[in-house]
Amino acid sequence: MKATTKKILAGSVMAAALLAGSAGVLVAQEKPVIATVVKISGIPWFDRLETGVKAFQEANPDVEASQSGPATADSAQQLQIVNDLIAKGVNALAVVPMDPAVLEGTFQRAMERGIVVVTHEADNQINTHADVEAFDNDEYGAALNARLAECMGNAGKWTTFVGSLGSRTHIQWVTAGENNAKQHPDMELVDPNNESFDDANATYEKAKEILRKHPDIKGFQTSAGNDVLGVGRAIDEAGLTGKVCLVGTGLPNPSADLLESGAITAIGFWDPQKAGMAMNAVAKLLLEKKEVTDGIDLGVEGYNKVSVKQGPGKGLLVIGNGMVLADKATYKDHLF
Amino acid sequence: MRRTGGQLVMLVAINCLLLALGAAISGGSFLSLFNLQSMASQVPEIGLLAIGVMLAMCAGNGGIDLSGIALANLSGVLSAVVVSSVLSGTEDQFAFSLAFIAVAVTTGFVGGAINGLLIARLDITPILCTLGTQMAFTGLAVVVSGGKAVMVGSPALLSSIGNDMFLGVPISFLIFIAAAGLIAAALKFTPYGLWLMLMGTNPKAAVFAGFPKNGVLVATYALSGTLSGIAGIIIAARNVNVKFDYGSSYLLIAILIAVMAGVKPEGGYGRVICVVMSAIALQLMSSLLNFGGLSNFVRDFAWGLLLLTFLAVGRYDLVGFLFPGSRQRVGSGAKPSSTGT
Repeated sequence: MKATTKKILAGSVMAAALLAGSAGVLVAQEKPVIATVVKISGIPWFDRLETGVKAFQEANPDVEASQSGPATADSAQQLQIVNDLIAKGVNALAVVPMDPAVLEGTFQRAMERGIVVVTHEADNQINTHADVEAFDNDEYGAALNARLAECMGNAGKWTTFVGSLGSRTHIQWVTAGENNAKQHPDMELVDPNNESFDDANATYEKAKEILRKHPDIKGFQTSAGNDVLGVGRAIDEAGLTGKVCLVGTGLPNPSADLLESGAITAIGFWDPQKAGMAMNAVAKLLLEKKEVTDGIDLGVEGYNKVSVKQGPGKGLLVIGNGMVLADKATYKDHLF
Repeated sequence: MRRTGGQLVMLVAINCLLLALGAAISGGSFLSLFNLQSMASQVPEIGLLAIGVMLAMCAGNGGIDLSGIALANLSGVLSAVVVSSVLSGTEDQFAFSLAFIAVAVTTGFVGGAINGLLIARLDITPILCTLGTQMAFTGLAVVVSGGKAVMVGSPALLSSIGNDMFLGVPISFLIFIAAAGLIAAALKFTPYGLWLMLMGTNPKAAVFAGFPKNGVLVATYALSGTLSGIAGIIIAARNVNVKFDYGSSYLLIAILIAVMAGVKPEGGYGRVICVVMSAIALQLMSSLLNFGGLSNFVRDFAWGLLLLTFLAVGRYDLVGFLFPGSRQRVGSGAKPSSTGT
């Protein structure tokens, strides 16, 4: 290294050191900050959730609410965002965990620092103050399967899709679905728990494979928000619309075409907008040191009388009543 | 050293710039002790994997290690399953931690050695070989864990690796720096380092010169595997649980870090300190964007931009161009002196 480069090196290091020294003056946060972190950014489901966060922000100008999330579906990336937000000094975290187990250590550290942690879609999270669920997961899985069984005439081969084997709620839904299907001995489950990674294209490819492998398959029960789109497209292209039933979690707007064509039998969902508002509402209650009691009204549609139970850890389990099942005839009531 | 001193200068300058920018955006809280600690404890996982990639790249002949994160996960999962079947994490905390570390490092070493043997003995192209072992390692981790997260818990020693500080520096970061230092020393002061770099520069000449080619290759991939094992320990210590699909995005990021650090993809040159600085730069940038509340898609864009900048620096001697006084002699890079670490 020549002298000049050494000078530049030394100069920049000194400049950084100076800045570090002057950094002692922290800008005081006047409003409590609630940071929402979703599984993945830029997909319709979590875009809708963000509208809820924004609506909550408008209704509650005394807090600062915002949403972020990783660009790729990887629990390690979500973990980094949560770590950075904790370091940034937010007052409350409202997280939809990609993988609850991976976040336990970080949540524990966050709670030790006095940060309020609220989760969603993770009723096995141990280190959380409150987990907000839109509905009872077993009931939802059973309801999806009941709709599927009705369409299949209670007989034939069927399979299930989950976002990933680590997505706890997805596994719960398909397990509840499997239990429901046991009432119908003619329903035969084949190749269950296909992983979709919430990617419509990958799901489409996988669904095509399954349709080739089991030409006589009658039904699909899917879990992640984009699965109905991928499977629906595969059914549509194979010309099996009306012959193969498809019931799964999905959003009305993206599914509209396939619902109209009949490739999707019915979609089940809860409004992520309301869930986002409810998460933030619970976080705000906890920030204000108020108690979340059984039957409390969170001021959000579907969460007007939530049931509050003891969660798996020290935290609470807050269950709303936000389940919606929509088909061709009814989806227009919920366009988002 | 002469040729790529500019790379190190650029990396240090970028790091300082990012720190300054962070301070400006966050009104100082970016440079708070807690955030510095938080960022420091996030670097080791990916940094260790990047050093592994660097070693494989230096070996030349299209050397690369794609199996890094898969092996790290396998080490964590296998170790958690094996050790918790023998010892209890809550009762014999210290013994549990030691056993966990031993099994994880051994798994990493063995996995890496398998890579090395396949590449050296069977002459399989590294990218294909490690792609295959990556899937095999992931598959094995799924089978061992049944696809679920495996609980490690917070036994005494592991918990302090994941959470505690030594003189205000996270212990995981110290482990990372120690591992990096050891490898840098091995590359600079042992015959292994010289062999590795010369072999990467010209494999044919290395064979005719009587280098222990197979030995060097196996050692290189085994080292890379051991680093993955250590990364697995740090992941387990920080996250309390281990899972087969953790960090699927790390694969490309580790390669990005290595390339940004000026490691030659065609082999024969790489400096550990540059890889460390480059890993830190990526961490600073991603934390900075999270602090600024910017979308994570912006981060991908920024990383891409940063990579292109560094490729340009490496190729066009940008530092010399900007500061003509320090123009360096270009073209001496192929000399053995480029093994400087």
